[in-house]
Amino acid sequence: MTSAVKIQALNKVYPGDVTALKSADLEIGDNEFFTLLGPSGCGKTTLLRLIAGFEEPTAGVLSLFGDDISTLPPEKRPVNTVFQHYSLFPHMSVFENVAFGLRRLGRSDKDAKARVEAMLDLVHLTDFAGRKPSQLSGGQQQRVALARALAPEPKVLLLDEPLSALDLKLRQSMRAELKRLQKDTGITFVFVTHDQEEALAMSDRIAVMSAGEIQQVGDPSAIYEHPENRFVAEFIGDANFLNATVAETTPSGTTYALDAGGTLTGPDQGRAKGEAVTLFFRPEKATLSQVGEGPNQLRCTVKDILYLGNSTDYWLALDHVTTLIVRSKNQTDGTVIADIGEQISLSLDPAALRILAT
Amino acid sequence: MSSIAEKLRVYTGLMPAVFVIGVFMIVPIMIIFVYSFLVAGDFGGVKPKFSTDAYVQLLFQKNLFDVSEFNPAYLIIAFRSLWIAVVTVLGCLLLGFPVAYYIASQPEDRRNLFLLLITIPFWTNLLVRTYCWILVLRDTGLINGALINMGLIDEPLTLLYTEGAVALGLIYTYVPFMVLPIYAALERLDVRLIEASRDLYANRWVTLRHVVVPLAMPGMIAGSILVFIPALGAFIAPDLLGGGKNLMLGSLVQLQFSSARNWPFGAALSMVIMAVVLLCLYAYARNVRKNGGGVQH
Ligand SMILES: Nc1ncnc2c1ncn2[C@@H]1O[C@H](COP(=O)(O)OP(=O)(O)OP(=O)(O)O)[C@@H](O)[C@H]1O
Ligand SMILES: [Mg+2]
Repeated sequence: MTSAVKIQALNKVYPGDVTALKSADLEIGDNEFFTLLGPSGCGKTTLLRLIAGFEEPTAGVLSLFGDDISTLPPEKRPVNTVFQHYSLFPHMSVFENVAFGLRRLGRSDKDAKARVEAMLDLVHLTDFAGRKPSQLSGGQQQRVALARALAPEPKVLLLDEPLSALDLKLRQSMRAELKRLQKDTGITFVFVTHDQEEALAMSDRIAVMSAGEIQQVGDPSAIYEHPENRFVAEFIGDANFLNATVAETTPSGTTYALDAGGTLTGPDQGRAKGEAVTLFFRPEKATLSQVGEGPNQLRCTVKDILYLGNSTDYWLALDHVTTLIVRSKNQTDGTVIADIGEQISLSLDPAALRILAT
Repeated sequence: MSSIAEKLRVYTGLMPAVFVIGVFMIVPIMIIFVYSFLVAGDFGGVKPKFSTDAYVQLLFQKNLFDVSEFNPAYLIIAFRSLWIAVVTVLGCLLLGFPVAYYIASQPEDRRNLFLLLITIPFWTNLLVRTYCWILVLRDTGLINGALINMGLIDEPLTLLYTEGAVALGLIYTYVPFMVLPIYAALERLDVRLIEASRDLYANRWVTLRHVVVPLAMPGMIAGSILVFIPALGAFIAPDLLGGGKNLMLGSLVQLQFSSARNWPFGAALSMVIMAVVLLCLYAYARNVRKNGGGVQH
């Protein structure tokens, strides 16, 4: 696999001693839809601006298809950006905006015109070629920004939260459209978002970032099912954490004694007996039943019930300090499994139990 | 009901503005307009007698036999003034744009300091400042002195009392009027647009030409108007630095009200200058409207 973007030990320190990126290593493959995901201020935009060339790295190497581009100015990098606030040229028509990059590359008028028309067709804006950006809706401006960045056929397209200014419905349809565009054009997309749902739905691979550091890189299911640390587990989806010690290890699995009482069994993860660990499982992996006390079951008290439409969240107290959430699919007849204050049994499939690095 | 009260309130509120504009603009212009159609008094002033002579005099002169013949002298002065005013505008643009661009690219507290510095010349009288240019430009002045001392020239260069000196003096006088509106336009310019341009393969210069200058255009046009109008009617710099030998419109008008004692002619000249300026402004306003009200931010 040739890597489209490769960064090695990349550091960025802003004036005022603000470290925005701490020796980041990352390889983004060709034709990949790659997402940078993380909370506000974690350095996503900084990484994107480093790749685009708007910021100079404090240390480290940045290469594009094997060429070191660390010192190239933005106009020399075969990379285009879809900016968070679109940044369309207000004094130019939609057509001129999309043609801007092509003209700078010295394409002939005829070539440029054909390409602009193809791009506007791609984003369904053919009828808007003559308008000024101020005469477009937010979603239309977003599509112009996309067409403008795609027109010069960049090797890598950078997108900085391009959907964040759109309303929910538009955002959902644009997600599908972006995904389609990426597949059709075969261009490597580096997509920034702080919306985990968006990241899971669109990406081939995701890098989860926090405070200038890359926490984990992997495909959506790996990130969701096998988070490597507590930050990733918490940032993506909802999570239950339990402190425990390894009670017994057998070839078929490991049994953990919970600090809150009770035991759970999970797959063998090479921990020694007596070791303290943090266990983790997703709320939808557990099931609830009225009766029973068996292997991998915990007796809890229902503290709260949150109705979510397609599912219901049960907040369960294991002891005075430990609260677990179980998400259960709603039945067509609308029956609830338990009421607040009732005792209930939580059962967990051993395969769904994970150990987190602490 | 309330809309009448509303209107009344709006008009009452407008009264001070209407009053000020009326007293300080409309009334003087009316007086000039009336004077331009009267006959010159013997010792200045006017005689209350209707005449269009002042306007005829602009282009025609009575010869010895009392026959009117075409006299291009004033037309030449007008074109020279226009030419120098245009040169002044271009000079102010060339000088003012980089200055405004530099100021706009500074951190915020520094910007305010620079803007203050730009206005410093206004703290001193224009006449004094223009005299200083004589000291700089004359045969024994700073420039010639320096050049001769360095051995670059033997004879002093003729710098003073040239059209170049006049243009220089005017550019010096009016460049702040160019810097401020361009700065205002550049300050509002979104730096992200510059990044977008660089991202799309435009280097610094191409970005300047295709993004920065077009977006600063309203400021450049406003500055050009602010410079052009006073430059056309200026008389201090032309008198002091041009030596009064090549008359300009401003000096000509001033002359009519002083030594020449021909107030109606001076008034007629003023009216014509004003008409030309208004025509220019009208053309500009129409142009702006055609382009959809200029740039939107
Ligand atoms: N020009 C700058 N000067 C100083 N500090 C900066 C600058 N730009 C960003 N930072 C800091 O660097 C850190 C990372 O910022 P960055 O913009 O990359 O975050 P982000 O992940 O894109 O956040 P968001 O989701 O809010 O856009 C932040 O702490 C921010 O305050
Ligand atoms: Mg950001």
